Amino acid sequence: MNLVWKLLRQHVSLPQFLGFFFANLFGMLIVLLGFQFYRDVLPVFVGGDTFMKSDYLIVSKHISTGTTLSGSSNVFTTDEIADLSSQRFARKVAWFTTADYRVDARMGINGQQVLSSEIFFESVPDDFVDVSLDEWQWTEGSRDVPIILPRTYLTMYNFGFARSRSLPKISEGLVGMIDFQLFIRGDQYKGRVIGFSSRLNTILVPQRFMEWTNSRYATGEASAPNRLVMEVSNPADDQITRYLDDRGYEVEDEKLNAEKTTYFLRMVVMLVMGIGLIISILSFYILMLSIYLLVQKNTSKLENLLLIGYSPSAVARPYQLLTLGLNLAVLLIAWTILYFIRAYYMDIIVTLFPDIDEGTMMPALLVGLALFALVTVVNQFAIHHKIMSIWNHKT
Amino acid sequence: MERIEFKNVVPQVFAHRGQHDSDIWQQEVCFERGRLYLVEADSGKGKSTFCSYVVGYRNDYTGTISFDSRDARELKVSDWVSLRQRHISCLFQELRLFPELTALENVEIKNKLTGHKTRREIEEWFDMLGISDKLHAKAGLMSFGQQQRVALIRSLVQPFDFLLADEPISHLDDTNSRIMGDIMMQEARRQGAGVIVTSIGKHIDLNYERTLRL
Repeated sequence: MNLVWKLLRQHVSLPQFLGFFFANLFGMLIVLLGFQFYRDVLPVFVGGDTFMKSDYLIVSKHISTGTTLSGSSNVFTTDEIADLSSQRFARKVAWFTTADYRVDARMGINGQQVLSSEIFFESVPDDFVDVSLDEWQWTEGSRDVPIILPRTYLTMYNFGFARSRSLPKISEGLVGMIDFQLFIRGDQYKGRVIGFSSRLNTILVPQRFMEWTNSRYATGEASAPNRLVMEVSNPADDQITRYLDDRGYEVEDEKLNAEKTTYFLRMVVMLVMGIGLIISILSFYILMLSIYLLVQKNTSKLENLLLIGYSPSAVARPYQLLTLGLNLAVLLIAWTILYFIRAYYMDIIVTLFPDIDEGTMMPALLVGLALFALVTVVNQFAIHHKIMSIWNHKT
Repeated sequence: MERIEFKNVVPQVFAHRGQHDSDIWQQEVCFERGRLYLVEADSGKGKSTFCSYVVGYRNDYTGTISFDSRDARELKVSDWVSLRQRHISCLFQELRLFPELTALENVEIKNKLTGHKTRREIEEWFDMLGISDKLHAKAGLMSFGQQQRVALIRSLVQPFDFLLADEPISHLDDTNSRIMGDIMMQEARRQGAGVIVTSIGKHIDLNYERTLRL
């Protein structure tokens, strides 16, 4: 065995180093987990919707008990739409066209029926829908209809049906598995689900299909629009809020919600990471105190080693290797534990949001490495400094 | 290294004394390689201080100490390390052994730095000094006289231009003192080194070329 180590490990206190080890492991794990979790969950809130263009708002009239009882309408008049279109912030205004006929739908996955119900359609002009025209195309007479479903349907299926009936979970890439049959007055159409939207709470079909079916199956008059979709130049514009408030309009403000959620998420993560960092810093102090105490107790040995020709770096090395080893072990164990925790929560996230980019552990690896490097460098420097103070008889 | 020079060196603790009746303090003295010196002093005259200055343990003095005309105060940490490893070996009065290591380990911990001696040569010295049975005994459990012999062996397992022996035989009988002197001088001559022995009266019987009084 190395004689210098045999000499210098005297007074190494196992409880002190264990204390440091677990405190540091705990702190490191919290910091890494906080950061990794934040990076993993963030896309859920900020991920764009693939089907609607970004800078749009969906506007409807406020529905209250009063309006329901009095039977007053919540539809938009032509004047109101014209007025809204003339505003400076409105780039483009259109309305949702609703189907004025009865639709029954049957949805099945892999041949197993999961939903059979009367549903409703809506459509918006094609230029509000951000998918390639090839997919969103409907030609008159075709029995094949492209459809965009609300994402909640997917979640409902994945968590409800798939779990309880041990059916396969589906992600957006596997929409082909969905078998969607539509029945309109005895005519059967085949719905081709091309995707899911988290920003639209409606079943969307192409405008041309809607117009054609309305003219063909609708019995009464075409209903007036009760929801508008508006593209704006700047969604954060104050003027928009003021205008809408004045007229008692409501905005389905999912974007804002996402921002709020992201803000709170960030705050919580910062708080957690802060706690982790404080634990790390405290554990770092434990280590430094232990090392200082160790050096202090071994001062005469260290001094003798220096006097018989050992260099300060050679004398510092055993302690530096000790801290390096401890820090490295902490880092590796923290990474390993994090790997399993992440595997657990990513499973849940992926089930909830099948299209989410699963990402990598890179953020945690990098932060861990940075933290490890910082702590180790400071350790090495502090130990060398302490040994030099013995060289200079300052202890 | 060929010479160690003291020019007007006065330890700070003696600064108030004014005139020094000494061959070293406040004088110009040169110790040359290959020669044998005896530094004699009563207690409290700064004998160990003298050794501390030469090995760079202390530097609380006025005047100049130089190694081959290089001022000791200008030496960097790495210079001192190389000096202690290859040029100046010291047999400390307080020995500075490690009590928790065995006698052999105490020597090996030094020999490992330079790999100067083989295990066989070291064991031979243990044998000559009559402590071969103590090779694997903890240094802390040995008598001071035995420890002095271990410390001597440790001071010889390195290349040196000067050997500084601070009261090497204070606890040894005449026979062992003589053997110690022989081993010390044999190794010093083999290396062509200078030897500086200090003493407060009892000293190894050697052919000193110069005796200085502190």
